[in-house]
Amino acid sequence: MTSDYESLRVGRDGHVGWLVFDRPDAGNAMDATMLAELERAWSELDADPEVRVIVNTGEGAAFQTGLDVVQLARDRDALREQSRRTRDAELELSAWQCGVRKPVVAAVNGVCAGGGLHFVADADIVIAASDATFLDPHVSIGQVTAYEAIALARKSPMEAVVRMALTGSHERVTAERAYRLGIVSEVVEPDRLRDAAAEVAGKIARNSPAAMEASKRALWGALELGLTDACRAGAQDLVSVWGHPDQTEGPLAFTERREPQWEEI
Amino acid sequence: MGSYETLKVERHGPVGWLIFDRPDQLNAMNSTMRDELADAWLELDGDPEVRAIVHTGEGRAFQTGVDVAELASDGLGMERYRQSVEAWDLHFTSWHQEVWKPVITAVNGICAGGAFHWVADADIVIASSDAQFFDPHVSVGQVTSIEMITLLRKMPVEAVMRMALVGIHERMPVERAYELGMLSQIVDPPEKLRETAQELGETIAKNSPAAMAASKRALWGALELGLTDACRAGAQELTSMWGHPDQEEGPRAFAEKRLADWTVS
Repeated sequence: MTSDYESLRVGRDGHVGWLVFDRPDAGNAMDATMLAELERAWSELDADPEVRVIVNTGEGAAFQTGLDVVQLARDRDALREQSRRTRDAELELSAWQCGVRKPVVAAVNGVCAGGGLHFVADADIVIAASDATFLDPHVSIGQVTAYEAIALARKSPMEAVVRMALTGSHERVTAERAYRLGIVSEVVEPDRLRDAAAEVAGKIARNSPAAMEASKRALWGALELGLTDACRAGAQDLVSVWGHPDQTEGPLAFTERREPQWEEI
Repeated sequence: MGSYETLKVERHGPVGWLIFDRPDQLNAMNSTMRDELADAWLELDGDPEVRAIVHTGEGRAFQTGVDVAELASDGLGMERYRQSVEAWDLHFTSWHQEVWKPVITAVNGICAGGAFHWVADADIVIASSDAQFFDPHVSVGQVTSIEMITLLRKMPVEAVMRMALVGIHERMPVERAYELGMLSQIVDPPEKLRETAQELGETIAKNSPAAMAASKRALWGALELGLTDACRAGAQELTSMWGHPDQEEGPRAFAEKRLADWTVS
């Protein structure tokens, strides 16, 4: 793990990059330091050619509990900057907001509350510990919920998301329910979570980085457009990789029953 | 009835059948099949006796995407495929061909990669209990795009992203596809799939063809638009039926406890 982060643990294990929230005593809430470090960490991992997939999880009992409002209230400049970004829709917290091209697996290790939902909504793949819970307390403390719930509602059955947004701190969605709703694709015993995340990340790391980048662009891009326009744009992403060495290496490796040698992106 | 090399096209009562018939190639789509699909959809859609269409495959696979062997060996086939994608000029699904009769896809086994075109573009999907779903594109250096774009508009997105990025290294069991709402019925034992599909087709065939076509246009059209615009366009479809004989015949048949005699234009 590289050590020049205060609020995160950022490192690489083989082809798998790890971005771990590391403020366990504060429920991994985002203070001014973490807000700055998240942007740097996503871009460092995305730029590292050895990294093919990124796992995002948290230290301690919580996954992520949103903005650390107490700390931010003491740091006027940071608060002002965060308010501006919120107003201008320029948040740079999650992989999606930071324009990460590589697949991202969120491994929810405990409570995921409010702003923590950014990291669930904006991940490609989400797995969870069986004791993980999801809630959105914004309206219970007089705040509006928007970005996280909007993205989540695009990706999951909407009633569940709106109920979470409107019941606030008075109800929690269990990991089991999140699995049934298709918000997460795998629920594991808490002590197996990181192994399970490494396992799915390991599978992803065996696939063509270039093909995954274009596929991810096509699929997330589809959430921006009507169906026909999205398919048209997707067709462009599809043909964008034609002629790339991975397109011949893939079938060749398959017929020769060996691991493909992919180009790094 | 047209004659086909790679498909079987049949009628059983009010139900039209379109069956992939290249079982030795796991029903992979070659150039001939691409052309024949375009014709077969239009033939069944144009037949006034056909009220619903069932789509399935011969052999142990439903479908496995483009015939890569042909693409690799036949320069002309590859060139045509490339042109059709680049120009967004596709004609091999019912959605591409603007078929407004109900389409039921009955997944009879392996459903891989490009096969998702016909899962995504169908109105109703059922599957045999031995069906399996996976998307190998990125594992062989290919981009996954159009079929997954449509699929993720219709079901929880995380599951689609996971299939897209994990590639050949996982398969989604039919039970999970059912839980997530990708399909609405699992048929066990698998041998009863066609019988079940025929029954479902006959059930649907009892409804007003004109009302179903307008409803289908409204619901698919909604995927192109924001919510308010979709409802406005849907209102046009709704009122387009006003004055149609089925609007009188339906309530009368219901009151007289008899089958309705629909007007087919």
